[in-house]
Amino acid sequence: MADVLKIENLHVSFDTYAGEVHAVRGVSLHVNEGEVLAIVGESGCGKSVTAQTIMKLNPMPPARIKEGSIDLCGEDIVAASEKKMQDIRGRLVSMIFQDPMTCLNPTMKVGKQLTEAICQHRKLSKEEAKKEAVRLLEMVQIPNAAERAEQYPHEFSGGMRQRAMIAMAMSCEPKLLIADEPTTALDVTIQAQIMQLMAKVREETGTAIILITHDLGVVANLADRVAVMYAGKIVETGTAEDIFYRPKHPYTQALLKSLPTVETSRDEKLVSIAGTPPDLFMPPKGCEFASRCEHCMKVCKKHVPPTYEVSAGHKAVCWRLHPACPTQMKEGN
Amino acid sequence: MAEKNKLISLDNVCKYFNVGHGKTLKAVDGITLNIYKGETLGVVGESGCGKSTLGRVVMGIYHPTSGKLEYEGQEVNLRKTKDRFQYSKKAQIIFQDPYASLNPRMTVGDIIAEGMEIHNMYTKEKRTQRVYELLDTVGLNKEHANRFPHEFSGGQRQRIGIARALAIEPEFIVCDEPISALDVSIQSQVINLLKELQERLGLTYMFIAHDLNIVKYISDRIAVMYLGNLVELAPSDDIYAHTLHPYSQALLASVPIPDPDKEAQKRAQVLSGDVPSPINPKPGCKFAGRCPKACDRCRAETPALREIRPNHFVACHLVQPE
Repeated sequence: MADVLKIENLHVSFDTYAGEVHAVRGVSLHVNEGEVLAIVGESGCGKSVTAQTIMKLNPMPPARIKEGSIDLCGEDIVAASEKKMQDIRGRLVSMIFQDPMTCLNPTMKVGKQLTEAICQHRKLSKEEAKKEAVRLLEMVQIPNAAERAEQYPHEFSGGMRQRAMIAMAMSCEPKLLIADEPTTALDVTIQAQIMQLMAKVREETGTAIILITHDLGVVANLADRVAVMYAGKIVETGTAEDIFYRPKHPYTQALLKSLPTVETSRDEKLVSIAGTPPDLFMPPKGCEFASRCEHCMKVCKKHVPPTYEVSAGHKAVCWRLHPACPTQMKEGN
Repeated sequence: MAEKNKLISLDNVCKYFNVGHGKTLKAVDGITLNIYKGETLGVVGESGCGKSTLGRVVMGIYHPTSGKLEYEGQEVNLRKTKDRFQYSKKAQIIFQDPYASLNPRMTVGDIIAEGMEIHNMYTKEKRTQRVYELLDTVGLNKEHANRFPHEFSGGQRQRIGIARALAIEPEFIVCDEPISALDVSIQSQVINLLKELQERLGLTYMFIAHDLNIVKYISDRIAVMYLGNLVELAPSDDIYAHTLHPYSQALLASVPIPDPDKEAQKRAQVLSGDVPSPINPKPGCKFAGRCPKACDRCRAETPALREIRPNHFVACHLVQPE
C-alpha cells in the first residue's frame, strides 16, 4: 500500500511573548491508503498542531515549522505557497473540526456552504453543484436533504451539523480526511451515529482518515493504527491491537489502566498518573514522561530515549526497551 | 449502602422555565426519588435531559416550580431565606467547569474560606488553619493559598473546587460533571480523591455525569434521565446486568469500549434521531419518538415509574414485573 501522507521529523514552534513553545518536537508518522490512524493524547500534547500543520492552518508567524518534511500524495507541504495550499486543501486533504457549532458559517445556507467547496475544485455548473450538495447530504444520512440544504446551520442539531461538516469535507473526495475530535462535543448516542457514519464514508470512498481524539473507546472502534502522543512527541505507535493489548510505553500502559470500564469493580482503586504534563516552554532534557513515570531510571532524566521497534510496525520510545535493560524492569507493570 | 437512612427525598419535583411566547421549558418534570445517607447516586443522561437542573434544585440554587424537597425528613422551603441559609450549610456543589467556577480576583485561600466566613465558622486564625488543612486534604500544599486560580491547571482547579465544597463540612455534595472538563490522566486522580473523601468523611454524593463507565465505577445507584423524566433507577450493578428501559439499553450500547475486539463484536443498536426539544413536549412517553419498540399506548399515556425488580424502578409500559 502506498503512503498517502509521510511526515518526517517535524518540529513546530510558536513564538509567544513568554518565549518559544515547542509544540511539536520531532514527529514522524505515515498514513497508508484507506487506513484510519488515530492520534491519541492529552490536551496540549501537540496532536492538533500536528494535524493543522498538515493543512498549514496555523498562522505563520507565530507558528514556525523549524525542521522536517511533510509529503502528502507527492506534494511537499512545507515548501508549498499559500496559493498552492488553496488547491491542496479540499482536493487532497480536508478536515472536520471538534465544534460543529462554530465551524459552519451562520449566515450562509448549508447547501450554499457545500457548493462553495465544490465550485472551488470541480468544474461544475451551479445547478450541478447544487445537486451534488444534496447528494452529499444524502450520503451523510440527513433526512429531507433537498429541504435541509436550504436551511441555515442554527436550524440543525449538533449531530446534524457534524454530518454537514463531514459532507463538506468529503465533497471533493480527498485522499486524506483529518478528524480533529469529531465526537467530543456530542452526546454518546449521537457519537455512536457519527462513528458509524465515518466508518461508512471510509468504506464507500476509500479515503484515509487521521482521527485525533483523547477517547480511547472511539479509537478502539475506528482505528487500524494508533499513535500515542505526549508532550509534542510520539511515544508509541502500532496497530490498534498492539496498543490496546501489548502496550510497551509506560504512558500508554497507565492511560489504559486509568480508565474504568463497565467491569471495573467499585472496590478497586483507579490507577492514576501523578503530576501533570511538562511545560513546553522548557521541555525536559531527558524523557518527557520521566517525572510522572513509575519506572523512571537515572538515564531517563538525562538522555532522550531512542525509538525501539518491538515488532513489525510497533515502535515505542522508552529506555526500558533497551537490550541492556534488566528483564525485571521491562516486565514491571 | 451501609444503612438506609433517607437524607434527601424529592417528591414530584418539577422545574419549569418560562421561555417567552407563552412557552414553558420543562427541564425537570415530576421527579420522585430518595438519596440515602452515605451513598453515591449517579445521574446520567444526554445533554438537555435536565440532570444539571435537578442537581441545582437538590442543591437549593433553583426553587422547584412544584413538589417538595425534604432533608432528613424536614421540608426545606427554599423561599425562606433562613431555611435556605441553613440548607446551604449542609449541601454543597462542585461545578463542571473549573475555569469558570472560581473567582479570578480572589486568592485560593479566600475562595476556600469564603463559605466559612459566611457561616460564621471559627475565628480568623482557625479559618486560615483550616484552609491549609483542606488544601492538604485535596493534595495541594499550603503555599498555594496565596495564589490566584489562573496559576493552576485544570485538575488542580477542580481540587480547589472540591476544597471549597468541603470547607463548611457539608453532609451532601452535588458533583455536577466534575471531571468532564479534565484530561483522562487527571480524571482518575479526581475520582480517586472523591472516593477517598467519601470514605473518610462519610459524605453523600449526587454524581452527575454523561460518562457511563465512570458513573458505574463511583455510584451505588444510578438514575437515568430523559427529557426531564426519570426513566430508570436501580443499583448500579443491576442496571448494567439487567438494563430494562429501551433508552438505557441504547445509552449503554452506544458507549465505546476501549478494547478493539469487544468493539468489533458489539453490533450496537444505534439510536436514530436527536433528543427532542423540552419546550412544550408531546403527551405520552417522551422517548416514544426514538424508541424502536414504541406502540400506540406509549404515544398516548405517560408511563409511571414502577418497581420491576427489587429496588429497580423503570418507567416503561412494555416492561412487565417479573
